[in-house]
Amino acid sequence: MKKATGLFILTGLLVMGCGNRASAPGVSEDKILIGNVQDLSGPMKELGAVLPAGSNLYFRYVNENGGVHGRQIEMKVEDHQYNPQKAVAAAKKLIEKDQVFCLYQVIGTSPCEAIRPILAESGTPLVAPATQSGSMSDMSREAAGLIFHTDTGYDKQTRILVDNILADDVNAKIGLIYQDDDYGENVLKGAAVAESSTGAAIQKEAYQRGATDFAGQVANLMKGGATHVIIAGVVKEPIIVMKTAAAMGYAPKFYGTSPTMDHRVSLAAGPAGEGFTSANFASLWNSDAEAAVLYRELCTKYEVPEAYMGMYHFYGFITAQVLVEGLERAGQYPTRERLVNGLETLNNWDGGAFPPITYSQTDHAGTESVILVEVKDGVQTVITDWID
Amino acid sequence: METFIGLIQESISGIALGSIYALIALGFTLIYKATEVVNFAQGELMMVGAYVNFYFVTTFMTQNGEPTVGIFLIAFAGSIIFAFVFGWVLDWVINRPLKDEPIFSVIMATISLSIILRALVAMIAGPMSLIPYSPFGNKILSINGIIISMLDLSIIISAIILVILFYYFFNKTKWGVAMQATSEDPVAAQLMGIPVKRVYGLVWIFSALVATISGILLAPRMSLLDTSMGFLGLKAFPAAVLGGFGSITGAIVGGIIMGVIETISMGTLSYHFGWIKEMNDIIVWIVLIAVLMVKPDGLFGEEKVKKV
Amino acid sequence: MKGRYEDENLTWIPLLIVGIFLLPFMLKGITYSYKYYLFVLNMVGIYIILTVGLDLLSGYTGLISLGHSAFLAIGAYTSAILVDQVGIPFILSLVISPLIVGIFGFLIGFPALRITGMYLGLTTMGFGFIVKRLIIALRVWTKGAGGLEVSPPVIFGFTFNSDWDNYFLIFTCAIIAVVVGRRIGKSKIGRALMAIRDSEQAAEATGVHLAKYKMLAFFISGLFAGFAGALFAHTNHFISTDHFDIILSIYFIIMILVGGVSSIYGAVLGTLFIVLLDYLFVPELKDLIHGVFNIEGGDIQSLLFGLIMFLFIIFQPTGLYGMWIKMKIYWKLFPFNPKKRLI
Repeated sequence: MKKATGLFILTGLLVMGCGNRASAPGVSEDKILIGNVQDLSGPMKELGAVLPAGSNLYFRYVNENGGVHGRQIEMKVEDHQYNPQKAVAAAKKLIEKDQVFCLYQVIGTSPCEAIRPILAESGTPLVAPATQSGSMSDMSREAAGLIFHTDTGYDKQTRILVDNILADDVNAKIGLIYQDDDYGENVLKGAAVAESSTGAAIQKEAYQRGATDFAGQVANLMKGGATHVIIAGVVKEPIIVMKTAAAMGYAPKFYGTSPTMDHRVSLAAGPAGEGFTSANFASLWNSDAEAAVLYRELCTKYEVPEAYMGMYHFYGFITAQVLVEGLERAGQYPTRERLVNGLETLNNWDGGAFPPITYSQTDHAGTESVILVEVKDGVQTVITDWID
Repeated sequence: METFIGLIQESISGIALGSIYALIALGFTLIYKATEVVNFAQGELMMVGAYVNFYFVTTFMTQNGEPTVGIFLIAFAGSIIFAFVFGWVLDWVINRPLKDEPIFSVIMATISLSIILRALVAMIAGPMSLIPYSPFGNKILSINGIIISMLDLSIIISAIILVILFYYFFNKTKWGVAMQATSEDPVAAQLMGIPVKRVYGLVWIFSALVATISGILLAPRMSLLDTSMGFLGLKAFPAAVLGGFGSITGAIVGGIIMGVIETISMGTLSYHFGWIKEMNDIIVWIVLIAVLMVKPDGLFGEEKVKKV
Repeated sequence: MKGRYEDENLTWIPLLIVGIFLLPFMLKGITYSYKYYLFVLNMVGIYIILTVGLDLLSGYTGLISLGHSAFLAIGAYTSAILVDQVGIPFILSLVISPLIVGIFGFLIGFPALRITGMYLGLTTMGFGFIVKRLIIALRVWTKGAGGLEVSPPVIFGFTFNSDWDNYFLIFTCAIIAVVVGRRIGKSKIGRALMAIRDSEQAAEATGVHLAKYKMLAFFISGLFAGFAGALFAHTNHFISTDHFDIILSIYFIIMILVGGVSSIYGAVLGTLFIVLLDYLFVPELKDLIHGVFNIEGGDIQSLLFGLIMFLFIIFQPTGLYGMWIKMKIYWKLFPFNPKKRLI
């Protein structure tokens, strides 16, 4: 009896999974289905909501203008709660069951690393993974030929920041606050490169993901006499660090990696956040860059909530541009191989927000330079050209 | 000398951090004392409290403009009332249906409650983090070069006040004594005419109350309010256990010890010994295990005599 | 104490085993997305090996462990390092890794001699955090927080490359684990462990060596977890510290509780229930709901999971195995059912 019910439920479930299978997975006469694995209910769920929303904004714009070769783009988002095991399950579901054409924007370093074997097994490309870890564009790794990274790695960002600080002030003593996980590991890699190339000694202080108190680290940097401090955090960390430092009467110049670019940093930090300089791998969403103008225009047109608008939403938007360009180049009858080949023809392609992107068979790194953005009178202002 | 001042500074930050742990641990303790249930949703109760307070502040603010201390007090009162109702509802939803079941069923119910609360709050409030208001702004107090923010001071003071209140309640009032009797032996208490059911209800209300207050105080310290705040409950676990689950003094002392250890190990200790950096977040656990090896019931826990 | 299920009918077990090995062929026949279902089932199989061991520790002996994801992690990393860096064949690593994890379990057994109840739960939880940190600190071998790539399992020259191959490997191991787990549960050891759970003092008085058996329980539980860990590492091809979260430990405890404490079949049922719920039914249900209403936001999935768990506990606190027994009694007595609850 019980077994029969179980069998019945199982069969029902399997039947639900059956649909018609197109020749190239995810591509039908009038639709291309794209898979996205986001953190929708874990520690990064804010990005999980904003990034796909930004991408969908651009997809909507493309779809209303006739789509890609007459096909509408549709994106299906699954949740991984920042757990690599769940990410693998979600990616399997998207590829095997929902039959997506390609994966796009999967967030987080360890989730992206964990799905490499699946990408390799099924030959599914992953376009614009939403992590700035430099390991994504390491061509010696498994499935590297299928991953198209768009962002400048944390390691490169850190090295550029250190170089830039030393160019400003030769006698600068540099401090670094990093998150003690895969993100921090990548930052440290860049710091090590900078240390060996410039001979500067960097004072490093660690914190754990989810920390709320930075008094110890700031006090240590103060004792060490750091004049320039790089904060490799996300949004919360630079705010608390700068506030704590201001309270202690310690005023170094603060720098940050790209995740700290969020405009709420200067908003929440107030006067303590004045002069905060962060590295970013794309133009600002409120700048005059071609993509940013279109972005703001579409935001007003489709009535995007104000809380969503910002660098992360814009980031979703501009990576969608890269994906759509790749789909365009994959031709009238796209297959996964044609998408890979299409993206590899990008040569100094300028989408209007990223620095010119070049992919080739031996290089999937996309951008390798950053701009520096400084908070002046509470407003983010670009202070450099693209530097690398 | 410099090291000494640094140590004092870190100790004070540590006491503030520890007071937060202590407040959460107090919530654990209250429920555990009466019902032997470890409430895994304590951190989530705190998060709900912070969100409700934020909601009240913004509601009153749209009518009056800027958030002032007055508005904050009104919102605070509103949140307290909410906490009463919330605790009462939780007692009805979790404690009563499971009163004859093994303790473990109740613990599992609290685990699933924590998942539900996180999801519900996120669905209602939206995915974006909020910037919480602080009634103290960024004001700081500086004494001889040692700095403490007004917010931290308020956290420490409210922890002290709450402990005094609970101490008074448990030892001097009728209901408090009834609660103590219930936690000693529910059956005997029932026979003595104590309304055990209502006592349990009261325990959940108190614990929701403590959670809400700590949530309100903690939110501005975190600088951004999101649902992952609930995970702080897990960090307060070692504090509650170190003091001895079920002891109010223990919760406070345990919390403060943990807070101070954490800040000092991140500060002075890791400045002088680089390898400490590798183990910042586990130092509290190592201390905890070491203490438990010597005193298996925590610092202030009562040793139970076991009979066959 | 005589075994409670001594009178049960065992003929269906071979049938069940055949059914388990036929299932993939059936799945392949029915649906093209069988690989996804096999992947979820593989996870069930690995976790079953671990929860059987956990049940012997927490269910039979009453020693709560909130650190089992750490045991899984040690097993996974040990096996990955042994096979890929030392060069030991996989089949040998399947023997050595559990032993090493067993020794770790043995070490954790020391505090358990003094610490009991929830305090022990918290101690093992702390052990979990310490192990995670240790894995990151030993970055020479483990590649730190970045995660470690692992080679697929190779047995006598045959490489298990896909979910299909892995399924047969994992379920052979899982069946062995369940059988061994049941043998232990019914043996002298199992009875001694249960005596310790019911009353340490009484057990000691009747001649059960407390220290010996508690350490043994941790050792055995470690063996199972190490076995599961070795399989986990090689069938997943990638492991990182993010895989072995504290939440996973709590889930393991939930699995054996949902199944019904101190029955090996209960642990199996509970694992099947929770993993299928979390990885299959809830995403499915979410898709269904998304098809009907257009709800934004991804929290619907964790809300569903939490709600189902919660309702299950409120209405079925004795667990799946208790439910099964209740149903059996109900049908046995069929027309003459007493009105009152039996269990």
